[in-house]
Amino acid sequence: MERTVAARLGITVPEGVSFLIKSGIFLSVCGATLFVALGAGYPAVHDALHNVRHALAIVPCH
Amino acid sequence: MPLKHLAVLLILFAGALFGLTARAEELNVYFKTTPRPELLRPFADPADMSLLVTGADGRPVREGVVAIRIDAPAPGFFFSTDYPLVEGTLLSELRLPLRQGKANWKYLFPIRGEYRLAVDVTADDGMKASKTFNFHIRENQKKWLALGAFSAALLVLGFVAGRIFTGTRATAMSLIAAALFASTTGNTGTLQPVPADGTILTIAPATVGRPSEIRWSLTRAAGAGHGAAALSLIITHLEKRKIVFAAERMPVAGEWSMKFHFPDGAEYRVAALGNVPGRTPVRTEQMVSVTGVQPPASAMAGVLAYFIALIALGLAAGRWSKRRTSK
Repeated sequence: MERTVAARLGITVPEGVSFLIKSGIFLSVCGATLFVALGAGYPAVHDALHNVRHALAIVPCH
Repeated sequence: MPLKHLAVLLILFAGALFGLTARAEELNVYFKTTPRPELLRPFADPADMSLLVTGADGRPVREGVVAIRIDAPAPGFFFSTDYPLVEGTLLSELRLPLRQGKANWKYLFPIRGEYRLAVDVTADDGMKASKTFNFHIRENQKKWLALGAFSAALLVLGFVAGRIFTGTRATAMSLIAAALFASTTGNTGTLQPVPADGTILTIAPATVGRPSEIRWSLTRAAGAGHGAAALSLIITHLEKRKIVFAAERMPVAGEWSMKFHFPDGAEYRVAALGNVPGRTPVRTEQMVSVTGVQPPASAMAGVLAYFIALIALGLAAGRWSKRRTSK
């Protein structure tokens, strides 16, 4: 990913910053996925994962 | 103050004090669940709830009425239970007749935590007593295990990602976009009274988060006014096939009501069997579709923060592990 960004934009970032950026994106995606899977009220998702929500003891459900 | 007046006052004070003490000791209220609260688990099996009211001499009160109120555990500081809308609410409020000092009913506890049972007893001779019982229901161990496994999986996910993201070689990261669907929740509306051969069973619209009133009455044609009817009421969770409330053969004078909090948005069956001496028993049944309510986002915030913190911890551990091995 760094190579692509570096080739297209002509910029390079230190490894530590690169890690933070990737981690930030990864955490955002994971958070959004977890929210949709366990917290959102969309019927299709809720119905499919209803038992999982209750099985986890601390995930609120209706 | 003359000594005579002081003596009279002292006698009156002592008499009042003794009277209060004796009054408090007139009725004793005992509460028991079967199995014991330590063995009960939320939404597992209904508990047999039993109240025993005795006089100061230890003998059961022959007749009377007991008003019962069950309050749900208060919300947790950081994590909620899986039924956050039930937390801290009134779960059940009913009046049961005492038979030989006893009142029995079944109840299925919906969540873990400290429950509060408030009891007000009124004996037929006018004596009264109030008592509050607190008891704790523990969470199902399987749920804690599932949460532990899920937490470990998130930690491992973060760890692997941390190792991949660390280093000089470029790595491809594939992201999966979550599909979003429009959300709608159903509402079942008001349930009309269902007359069944002389009995009427009325259930107020049931919504998660607040108790509904369940009212049963006997019409004159079915024997109202002909002495006490024996009422059995059973509320069943149809999906889980579990009895969530049951009270059997309660002597009622033609009419009985209770407040009941349906804890989740599911289908329930409320069945009442009225038995008037000398007449055919009358069974009334009604399906209740409880309207589910989406928990507030704040209830999910703590959980989400916990899960993301686990992944972040895994990321840090993965990075540390990769750098340590590459040195």
